[in-house]
Amino acid sequence: MAAHAPSTVPDTAPVSGARLVVEALEREGVRTVFGYPGGAIMPLYDALTGSGLRHILVRHEQAAALAADAYGRVTGEPGVCIATSGPGATNLVTGIANAYMDSVPMVAITGQVATSLIGTDAFQEVDIFGITLPIVKHSFVIRSTAEIPQVFAQAFELARSGRPGPVLIDLPKDMGVGAAVPNPVSVERFAHPEADPQLIAAANALIAEARAPVLYFGGGIAIARAERALRDFAARTGMPSVATLKGLGGIPTDHPDFLGMLGMHGMRAANMAIDKCDLLICVGARFDDRATGKLDTFAPGATVIHIDGDPAEIGKLRRAAVGISGDISKILDALDARPAHSEHWAALCRRQKAMWAMSYDAPGSGIYAPALLKDLSEAAGDDAVFTCDVGQHQMWVAQHCRFSRPQAHLTSAGLGTMGYGVPAGIGALIADPDATVITISGDGSIMMNVQELATLRRYRLPLKIVLIDNSQLGMVRQWQELFFEENFSEIDLSDNPDFADLAQAFGIEAFTIDHRDEVPAAIERLLATNGPILCHVRIDPRANVWPLVPPNSSNVQMLEKAK
Amino acid sequence: MTGQLTIDFDLHEGAVLRVLGLVERRGFEVRGIRMTEAADGRGALALDVRARDASRSLDTVAGQLQRLHDVRNVTCIQGVAQ
Repeated sequence: MAAHAPSTVPDTAPVSGARLVVEALEREGVRTVFGYPGGAIMPLYDALTGSGLRHILVRHEQAAALAADAYGRVTGEPGVCIATSGPGATNLVTGIANAYMDSVPMVAITGQVATSLIGTDAFQEVDIFGITLPIVKHSFVIRSTAEIPQVFAQAFELARSGRPGPVLIDLPKDMGVGAAVPNPVSVERFAHPEADPQLIAAANALIAEARAPVLYFGGGIAIARAERALRDFAARTGMPSVATLKGLGGIPTDHPDFLGMLGMHGMRAANMAIDKCDLLICVGARFDDRATGKLDTFAPGATVIHIDGDPAEIGKLRRAAVGISGDISKILDALDARPAHSEHWAALCRRQKAMWAMSYDAPGSGIYAPALLKDLSEAAGDDAVFTCDVGQHQMWVAQHCRFSRPQAHLTSAGLGTMGYGVPAGIGALIADPDATVITISGDGSIMMNVQELATLRRYRLPLKIVLIDNSQLGMVRQWQELFFEENFSEIDLSDNPDFADLAQAFGIEAFTIDHRDEVPAAIERLLATNGPILCHVRIDPRANVWPLVPPNSSNVQMLEKAK
Repeated sequence: MTGQLTIDFDLHEGAVLRVLGLVERRGFEVRGIRMTEAADGRGALALDVRARDASRSLDTVAGQLQRLHDVRNVTCIQGVAQ
């Protein structure tokens, strides 16, 4: 922790708690909040009118939290979501957990019953503070109206600093209604400790000796805004690199020495390089099971250097010979050694990448989703932002779209939240109204938050939705086919509504394609349309995501598509 | 594996639950608890813990406790008899 920020001078006249909340949000630079009103939070909604804050009224509180999550990912500043007590608050829970798992800055404000009623099973009372304890970075219950500015200042600092995350503030109704002279504000500002020079020297020594090094990076790069330092390090060392799902874009995915995503649905060249490397430099990643496969067979011959902003991640799952926590950019800039004998290794990795490159040949005349996504991504360009739902289409996006910055790929990586895509598209468009934002969804996922089509319509948000429809819960079906002896259980969605009709009922332009000849015109129409638009894409229900590492297996035991 | 965690923390609302919940969730059984309040108003928890499986590390959970906002200091001793 570093120096205290200067205290604000309190006004002498009492101010209502709700007004203090609005002022606190404005002081933090908040311009937009996502929410849904209800009984206990009504004092805050009363104060919102006439304020400088824009409120986006979603149609379900989960979407408020997920949109705030996406806003936080794009801007690096906490997204703010608001809900009332009871069911309003519990509906935020998935979105809060989503932000927690992916270390996204967020401030969630929940109404609460009046202080005197807490613990009496009052109408719409729920212990949201207790419910969310495991999925927040920190949380507060407002116990004094005068403390509201202090609590909000602390909450924003905690949400955005160090390893970011969601912070919940529970606001009892009487705290919002009551008036007080606010207490002065004093907040400790977080600062990373300087990295230990001896550890830097030890890491440089390992790098200099390495003959087969691999750089493995994750979402911590985007959190630390360390893309420049990462790219400089990769260029300086000539090291092949691989990314986690959240890391994609840290190094442009079309860079010759970038081998692709690693792990369960990763590229074979990436997984093979990890298997053979003698030095693994993990930066801003956490040896997550989807990335490592069977952990004790992951990078079996490698010495590990682990660099992370969060010291608690170092050594959590894999022992590091050298672990360095702190400011990732500064650490990478200090690693100035170059491997003396790794040219042959880098060349081998490039050959492996070419050998195992994805093929876009597919039989028949139906639409091959990977090819569609590749073409869409290339047509949209590197400035486009993709948001994903969860399932097969999510993996296809990761495998086949190009990314030159992590903020262009908003995906629910840790929690795997079906229903993330459309609310995330809303949040991304609010954060960057001029961006081309494309949501890739599936016929299972879209129905999880389909009500948010009404939000798109209300605010005329020009989200471009590509709904890949296999009339099944595709990823579950794939696993049942491969690992449950084709015992297909509860994956049939063939009674889906007509999605184009459904979107049109919400007032959104929509059309359906089911033949690959229609793809070029569909992409052109999507990108040329100014308002919200949905392209419903029917694909083969039997399509699977390849390659695939079976559960509890080593990453080199990849299953490939049958030729 | 057994051990003892000693946690000094600010006695803010929910702090005790946060600490206990994290220890349980991260793979340890809490087998004994002693809590005291220091003169400066801070709390001190001494927890006797037992790992639920061999993969769990007391140092790792200590690091995770340390990043809680209310927690000031964590010490851990492995293999303390219970």
